[in-house]
Parts: sequence; structure tokens; C-alpha cells
Amino acid sequence: MYEPKIVGFLCTWCSYSGADLAGVSRLKSPWNLRAVRVPCSGRVAPELILRAFDEGADGVLVLGCHIGECHYDTGNHRTAKRLPVLHSLMAFAGLEPERLRLDWVSASEGERFARIVNEFTQTVRALGPCTWRQRNPIPLMEPLPDTLEAEAGGQP
Amino acid sequence: MNTTTAIQDKARELLSGGQVTCVIGYEVGPRGRTRPAFVTRADDVARLVWNQECTHNLTTYLRDRLRPKGHGQTAEPPGRVAVVVKPCDSRAIHVLLAENQFQRDQVYLIGVACEGIRQGAGSGQVTDAWQRRCQACAERLPVVYDTLIGEPPEVGQVSDPWGADLARLEAMTPAERASFWLSQFDRCIRCYACRQACPMCNCPTCLYERDDSLWVAMRIAPDEKRAFHLGRAYHLAGRCIGCDECERVCPMNIPISLLNRKLASEMEAAFGFRAGLAPVLSPITTTLGGEEV
Amino acid sequence: MNVISRDKLAAWIDDLVQDRTVIAPRDVEGVLLYRPVHSSAEVVWDYLRPAMSAKDALFPPTERLMLIDQAGEHITLRESLPEDEQVMFGVRPCDARGLKVLDALFIEDDPPDSWYTRRREHTTLVGLACNQMGDTCFCTSMGVTPDDHRDMDVMLTEVEDGYAVQAVTPKGEALIQGLALQHRPGDPPRQVITARLLFPQAEAWPSHFNDEYWEEMAERCLSCRLCAYVCPTCRCFDVRDETLAAGNGHRQYERIRCWDSCAGEVYRKIAGGHNPRAAKGQRLRNRFFCKFYYYPQQYGPLACTGCGRCIDACPVNIDITEVMQHVSEVNP
Repeated sequence: MYEPKIVGFLCTWCSYSGADLAGVSRLKSPWNLRAVRVPCSGRVAPELILRAFDEGADGVLVLGCHIGECHYDTGNHRTAKRLPVLHSLMAFAGLEPERLRLDWVSASEGERFARIVNEFTQTVRALGPCTWRQRNPIPLMEPLPDTLEAEAGGQP
Repeated sequence: MNTTTAIQDKARELLSGGQVTCVIGYEVGPRGRTRPAFVTRADDVARLVWNQECTHNLTTYLRDRLRPKGHGQTAEPPGRVAVVVKPCDSRAIHVLLAENQFQRDQVYLIGVACEGIRQGAGSGQVTDAWQRRCQACAERLPVVYDTLIGEPPEVGQVSDPWGADLARLEAMTPAERASFWLSQFDRCIRCYACRQACPMCNCPTCLYERDDSLWVAMRIAPDEKRAFHLGRAYHLAGRCIGCDECERVCPMNIPISLLNRKLASEMEAAFGFRAGLAPVLSPITTTLGGEEV
Repeated sequence: MNVISRDKLAAWIDDLVQDRTVIAPRDVEGVLLYRPVHSSAEVVWDYLRPAMSAKDALFPPTERLMLIDQAGEHITLRESLPEDEQVMFGVRPCDARGLKVLDALFIEDDPPDSWYTRRREHTTLVGLACNQMGDTCFCTSMGVTPDDHRDMDVMLTEVEDGYAVQAVTPKGEALIQGLALQHRPGDPPRQVITARLLFPQAEAWPSHFNDEYWEEMAERCLSCRLCAYVCPTCRCFDVRDETLAAGNGHRQYERIRCWDSCAGEVYRKIAGGHNPRAAKGQRLRNRFFCKFYYYPQQYGPLACTGCGRCIDACPVNIDITEVMQHVSEVNP
């Protein structure tokens, strides 16, 4: 049963605290979100997002402070300008645009956080597994035949 | 006086007067192919030419030439350099100046009015057709120069050679687009010719070539190649001036300029911005202005 | 000579693809490359030379050397050796000579490179003689001819309404067994050969090491890696361990190698940051010396087969024949 893997970049001062508030208030939000705490949404470089999808994320959510409320004044300005450009580039390259979402959540908006994560997870679930990544990982539990067994330390 | 003679005269004047230590221009090699030329002596200027095969963006050589050689107290300051710039190349000068890659007084710009460059320029097979960037070019004069050579040519029909390709891609489903781009990048061998030819790609260590594989592994494989091309296109948003040299130098006919054109149109739509018309930074490197909030 | 028609040859290819990989010149979005084909319909028959050389099939741009699985303290290694049989069809003599040049390092020098050696054993070369030499071709200066059969397993030469077929090695004979060949009197026609270029002997090179020429010639170089990658004989590579999946106490890595080039700026950079070949002239000088002096001294063959790809591919017209001319004609 496919459960989407969602990587969430949450800024320390607003959205991460918002997520904490949602947790403390016992608001239900899906466990699919893997939270990555960053100092500011402005730190979320396009390389991070490209890498997340290359490593097999089904969806990427970037949550920052509302404009005008950034702890670093203008960090989220950069996010506001850069992410839409990246978004249109990735959509042009064949990523379903619904798989990447930028939104704004403040530290006091626990409910908003839960709602956004819920919505996003449902959207990504409906889209099915993401086919962006080409490299297939070797299944971890597959036994390795014909091995050159080595002791701890890895000397061949 | 034709443009070739005018360039040679100007180069002779600059070199013999000691105003510059080197003139970067174009020459024709023994096989008849036009290529970049670095002239350091006034008696050598006869090598310089101007023709419809002067495709190279010579501004890509400036940054390295204009940095001091050596370190600290024994560093030699670089000599002043003159460079021949077409209209498109001159826009690169503005971007490089805005990014402090060198100072304005370190270059003497020999601007050339350009009637266009032929497809296949620089190779052994030049055709009669104009390059796509020339078909789309409405400004035949450099945006910045110290001397201007040539009369502004009549601008004929200006077309949008990428419009049809871009529309075709936009009309596809995401899956079809993904498949299109993967099949294009399949041929890529990560030779980095596109990156090296580009004046704006000048990071001392390219993000996509790090020893620790932080953003992209070293494999020459589909995910990595796509990440490199998309990442590079993104880093050029608002900085690419559309010389299309990246696409010309690619040995595998990968339509790199489509990515750059797509982002250029996004920048124009979102910010009303075209790279290189003035020495200002790309909008995505700056904060929101009051009117954008 | 023994002759076969193109139709029969195509039918033979369609037969071969059933049980092994057949690599032939193919049009890939306007670029001619040696690539696996699924049927003879995909094969291009009239061409000068593919954009990339035959080395791709034996020394691919990226290759896994080993798979590494780590579970806690326990580490398991599995070597990844190539096993598939492959036939390369339509190989040009300059490309086949390139493989012989690579053999001197990868197979004949000790220790042999397992991956290259394995692929070489599993590959049969069916060559196709050139009808003409291109503008940038100079194979005849490098000891190869356009119809050179010496490095092939089977050699094809175009004749009237068909191809002359010649088995060169036992492997080649085994491959064409059963092919219906017509006997015709005479030999395959010799091909048109252009004038030979001056070629400087290895001993001529060292005295030119300090020429100012290298820095001047390299000024326009972009330090990309095109010349090395399209070359049939360039063979430098980088090795790195890259991560695969991880989780549940397991981690997986693969040791891979991929192409590298001495023309790249960081190629010779060493820990601590010093770069002995920081200048473009130093790097290009190294490239040409490696081909014409270092490699022959160390391994025997010249590391250039005169295919001319580097001349066509270089975006700024850095020309190996101009370099050869300088070393031949100019006093150091």
C-alpha cells in the first residue's frame, strides 16, 4: 500500500514551532511528513529540493514565516522569489507541480500547520508514487550471494 | 572601412599606446574555422577578423584574466584587457559587473554592430541559416562599449524560434515532459563544455562537481545529469543573456537553451526583468521590493 | 573475396540481437553514436564516424566496481563484473586501434583491469572500412589506414551491391560461421588515402617542454573535457564511493568509476589545495605529451589514432595537428 514519503523543510522560528504547537494540541496530522528543521526558509536552496526528489521523496513541502514576520527580516523574501521559479523549472522538466508546495505558517498556527500537511499528504497520495528518481535502490533485505565476506573494518 | 580593419586599427592603437596588454578577439585558424584570438603585440593585430562565424562569447575569458596572479604581497595585478563584444556578449559584461567579477575600468570594450552569426559557426560545417538567437535578436548594438564599430544593421523579421518547442513541451503531460528531458539528458557525458563556455558560470568549485558529492553524485547517470542541468539553469535565472553558446558547444545536441529560455520568460513574467540590460543583479538574488509584497 | 549483400547482413544482425547485445552506429536525436540496437532497421550504414568512439562499450562513462553492504559492524563486498556478450558492428579502424591502445594499459600491464578485460573478452568487433577520409581525419599519420583490418575480429569492406567479409581472428571466424557468403574473384578495393601529415617522433617532444607555445595555444581553451571524452584512447578516471539506500541499520554504497580528464582544472589538484597544473598551458601540454611521449614510453603504443574527433568537437578549435606541426617544424 503506497504511503507517500514527504520531506518538509520547516523554519525554526515559525513553522517548526507551529508544528510543535500542533503536536502539543494533539491535532491529527499524517506521519508521512519527515521534518527537516532549517534556521529559515531562505536556507532552502534549490539543491536541497532537487536532492530530496532525487533521493525518492514523493512530495516536498516548504513552510516559512509569513512575509514581514521573518526572524531574519528578509530570509523569506528570498524563498518567496526563488521557489516559484524553481517550481516552474521542475514542472517544465516533468515533475507534477502539485508535488512541491510553498506555504507560510506562523508559530501560533498549529491548526493551519495540521491542515496544510493533511491537504498536501492527500494530494500527493492521490498522485501515486513519484517517478522522478531513475536510480532504483537495491532492496536492503536482499541477501547478497557470492560475497567476498569481510570482517568488521571492511578489509577486502 | 570594414569592421575587420576597424578592429585591427583599434587593437593596434590600444596595444602600442599601452592602454591594454591584450586584445581578445577572433581569428581564422589554418582549417578556416573562426576561433578566439589573444593578441598581445601591436605587430600581430593582422590576425584579428570579424565575420559571420564569430560565435564565441569572449567575455567568458575575462574573469580569469582579470584576477591577480599569485597571492598577497607578490601578487601581480592583471593588465587591462580589451575584448570584442557582440550585442549579446555585452549583456554578459553587465551581469559580470553587477556581480563584481571585475571592475569596469579593467576592460576596454570593442563593441561591434552585429548582423548575425551563421549556424555551424566555429565548426567545419557552416550553413547559410542564422543562429536561433540571431533570428530572435532585435537589438543589434551592444548595450555597453568603449568604442562602437559598424553601422547598426537593418533588423529584419524578428521571430521566436523557441516558441513552437516551448509550446509543444507545455502541452505535454508531466510524464511526457519528464520522458522527453530524460531522453535528452541520456546523451549527456558531463563534459561540462556548456558550463565552461558560459561567462556566468564561474564558481571556483561548481556545486555539481564537489569532491564530497554533496548535491550530486559523480556518476554519469540520469538523475545526476538531470540535476546538473536543471540546477545550472536555475543558477542562471535572471543571469543568462541568451548567447546560446552552451547549446552550440554541446557535442550531443542537447537542447540546453530551451531550459534557459523557459526561465528567462519566467523572470520576465514574474519580475519584468531581462538579464544584462543594466548592471543589476538577478531579481531572485535580492529581497522583495516594496511593490512586490 | 567473400561477399554478402546488405539485406543478408541486416538479416544476420536481426538474428544476432536475439541472444546478445549488438552495438552499431545509430542515430540518437541527430547524433550518430555506437549504441545497442534492437533490430537492423536502427543501424546507420553510410557515415563518416560516430560522435563518440568505441571505447564507450568497453570502458563506459560510469561503471560500478563494487557493491558494499554495511550492517552494523559487518561489511560485505560484492564485485560487479560485466558478463554480457556483445558484438560491435560497423567499427571504424581508428576506433578499433583505440581499443588496442587501451589494451596496453588495461590488459597487458600488470595488474589487469578486471572490468575492461572482462568486457574485452566478451566483445567481438565487426569493422567497416571507410570509403573516404574526412577533413579532420589523419589516421594514416598514426599507423592506421581507413581499411585497416588488423585490430578487428571480422572486417567488412563495401563493394558493389554488398560487403566483402573477412574473418581476421578465430573469434571472428566463429561469429560468421554459417553466414551465406558468395565467392567473388579479386580483393576488396583499397580506399582513398589523403596525404600523410608530419608526425614528430617521441624523442622530439621533450625539448619542446618549455616552449611558450603551450601557454599561447591554450589561451582559448575552455578547460572542458570534450577532447578526452570523445577520444578513442583517453582513459583517465576517478573512483568514488557513492551512497545508495540506507535504513534499518543497513547502509549500502557502490564504488564507481567515471571518466575524468587532465584538461579539467581540478584534475591535478592535491590535498592542501596546491595545483601543479593550474595554468591551461600546463594542462594542454600534459595532454599532448601524454599521447605522444609519456604513454608510448610507459606502455608502447601511441595514444592517438588520428580519428580527428577532438578537432571537430573542440568549441575553440584547438587542433592536435597544429600541435604536431609545431613540434615537428619549430626549433625548440
